[in-house]
Amino acid sequence: MSGYRILDVADEKGMLCSKLLADLGADVIKIEKPGGDSSRNIAPFLNDVPHPNRSLCFWYYNTNKRGITLNLEIGPGRELFQRLVAKADVLLETYPPGYLEKLGLGYSTLCETNPELVMASITNFGQFGPYRDYKSSDIVASALGGAMSVCGDIATSPLKPFGSQAYHTASLFAAVGILLALWNRHFSGKGQHIDISLQECVAATLDHVLVHYFHEQAIAQRQGGLHWSGAFRVFPAKDGYILLSLFQQWETLVEWLDSEGMAEDLKEAKWQDPETRRQGLDHVVEVLERWTKIHTVAELVEQGQLMRFPWAEVASIPRLVASPQLRERGFFVAVEHPELEIRYRYPGAPYHFSSSQWRISRRAPLLGEHNREIYEQELGLYSEELARLEQAGVI
Amino acid sequence: MDGRSALEGIRILDFTWVLAGPYATRILADFGAEVIKVQPLTGGEEINGYTKGYYDTWNRNKLGVALDLNKPQGIEIAKRLIQASDVVVENFSPRVMANWGLDYDSLKLIKPDIIMVSLSALGQTGPWRDYVGFGPTIQAFSGITQLTTIPGHPPLGLGYSYADHVGGLFAVIAILEALEHRRCSGEGQYIDISQLEAMCSLLDTALLDYLVNSRVASPVGNHSSQAAPHGVYRCRGGDRWCAIAVFTDEEWQAFCEVLGNPSWTREERFATVAERLRNVAELDQLVAEWTKQRTAEEVMTLLQRVGVAVGVVQDARDVAKDPQLRERGFFIGEGETRMDGTPIKLSATSARFDRPAPALGQDTDYVLRQLLGISEEEIARYREEGIIKGSAQLGGPGWHLGQK
Repeated sequence: MSGYRILDVADEKGMLCSKLLADLGADVIKIEKPGGDSSRNIAPFLNDVPHPNRSLCFWYYNTNKRGITLNLEIGPGRELFQRLVAKADVLLETYPPGYLEKLGLGYSTLCETNPELVMASITNFGQFGPYRDYKSSDIVASALGGAMSVCGDIATSPLKPFGSQAYHTASLFAAVGILLALWNRHFSGKGQHIDISLQECVAATLDHVLVHYFHEQAIAQRQGGLHWSGAFRVFPAKDGYILLSLFQQWETLVEWLDSEGMAEDLKEAKWQDPETRRQGLDHVVEVLERWTKIHTVAELVEQGQLMRFPWAEVASIPRLVASPQLRERGFFVAVEHPELEIRYRYPGAPYHFSSSQWRISRRAPLLGEHNREIYEQELGLYSEELARLEQAGVI
Repeated sequence: MDGRSALEGIRILDFTWVLAGPYATRILADFGAEVIKVQPLTGGEEINGYTKGYYDTWNRNKLGVALDLNKPQGIEIAKRLIQASDVVVENFSPRVMANWGLDYDSLKLIKPDIIMVSLSALGQTGPWRDYVGFGPTIQAFSGITQLTTIPGHPPLGLGYSYADHVGGLFAVIAILEALEHRRCSGEGQYIDISQLEAMCSLLDTALLDYLVNSRVASPVGNHSSQAAPHGVYRCRGGDRWCAIAVFTDEEWQAFCEVLGNPSWTREERFATVAERLRNVAELDQLVAEWTKQRTAEEVMTLLQRVGVAVGVVQDARDVAKDPQLRERGFFIGEGETRMDGTPIKLSATSARFDRPAPALGQDTDYVLRQLLGISEEEIARYREEGIIKGSAQLGGPGWHLGQK
């Protein structure tokens, strides 16, 4: 992505999107309001000391970006913004629909300055429709998009997947949209506007839950540690939890249990029928649970995987970090924090390219770190002007 | 709609199956890439009643070519298809492509600028490379299963295979990046995607907090460190719930007003977000007292009207009938063929849904003849020898294969 410049005025909904592109070499300029983006206040902080330059959330999602401050709500700020847009390939924004138009910075206006501009808007519900102006958040999008209906215990409540997954999927889809639009621009010479809705992104990543409804009119339910399809389930082991598949290689599984004298009635021929197992799932689970409880997670995963069962340790974060697989593949990378004179290990590349470059060459920007570099060197402002703009609250 | 599709002229040879791979190539097909799905002669998902709906959903807009890759002539045809393609995508377990002689090093010899993507559970290298994994397996290894539960309860995890979509989306980004790279440098490349590593990129700060502060993340249920109330609340009428998220003081004031400003809302212990977070258990109970007297839809309307983020916990049927998704044309097709369209709305080159998923070998003859210039007689011979399967029918309506 090197050679592309991306202006980023996104909040948490789009932080990952511009990180994905920045980590692939795009020149991303993150524009924050004077005083800093609100995501700088999100915990956890380095050594738990709250400070705008110490938020790990800000660190993680803003690698490789340069950071400037700018107030879009006042005239001189908008003017500087227009000048930045003139030199950009992509604008990523997450304002409520209509907000930029109200400032005179809507897509059609910006296009007059820069017809090649690709603009991606990630919003709660998209640019049109009856819910257009409704509020949302990661949990609300997860609820309305359908994800929470298949997470959680039936005896308690629907459950949100850990992490900002609605924001993440929206960012992934927006990144795809941006790349498609940039590719198309090679041929058309023109940019375009990308309209991404959080709710749709959740509804577009539900495995076979909607397919099942459209084809069988069946509504998938939340069923605790059991996958909605009944094909996988979390089981307790002697020293932790393990994920087992319940329908693959049934005979091999029963033989294994039987060799330890624990197959009970699962040896009976009737259980060979997948439909019988589905109907008698509670019993199958009980028998399996008695067996998993006397084994360690490692025993079952290693032996199971040797026999081609798609089983896994329900890993904690420390176990994940210690996993020989991630270590051997060099997943974690060192990132320099020069102002702290220290390097920290970060989660690394989600893809291994043989030719393209994925790397973190710069930690997230300190507040206003690149104001001088961008306003003076790129826009040609004098340092006295910069000081004046700062005083006037423009930057 | 007419005009150019975003990926017009890009040809993808698709060896993928199940969900992650087909999901990736479906996105490319929706935006105009010519995706040729290589199918085993015996058929797979397309003829199994249980998986037919899934197959139809994830393979629309693709061409189907049935080829026996266990015969040398089958491999020969595959190689000719590769020569005519820009990108090869596969999601077998590592070694499968190599056993057919279709690993990247071999492909590079016959098509130097080919882009090849291998999407696997845990990656092409490392001690666990041969582990078998589906979405739930990857989720368990990634930590998200352990972290998705109510604090103090056993792990539940996500009840669906989220990691497959994640893997597919990362694969699409990688392919589009590789196309850009090829355009600038003329080089193709090999891309190794581990779905586990893709998932590890989506754990918020759980990993960084451990690596930097040595803090071990623990489950938070539906709570947030920035908002209260923040969670799901039972509503009237059976198993119905609403998600509510109150971040700012302004939202809190508006929220209280809708509740009729009962005296508890004015208590000191709920005055600020910090206070509300400290007393969140009591707060949640009081909010639930209010929601349980109303339907989820009522709660949503009342609170959205004053600018509070709230939404019904919708199940598959609710989502299928959702007025917002409908208005935006999120679903396409009718009845049995109904399915999700795309959440990527492009103003100039929108997605096209021209063609249902191919029947087994539906486009074999057409692709071999038009794309590879193989004669009818030869095609007939391949068919007799059991190397290909396909109908003699030529092409589908309104579908053109560009010549390379």
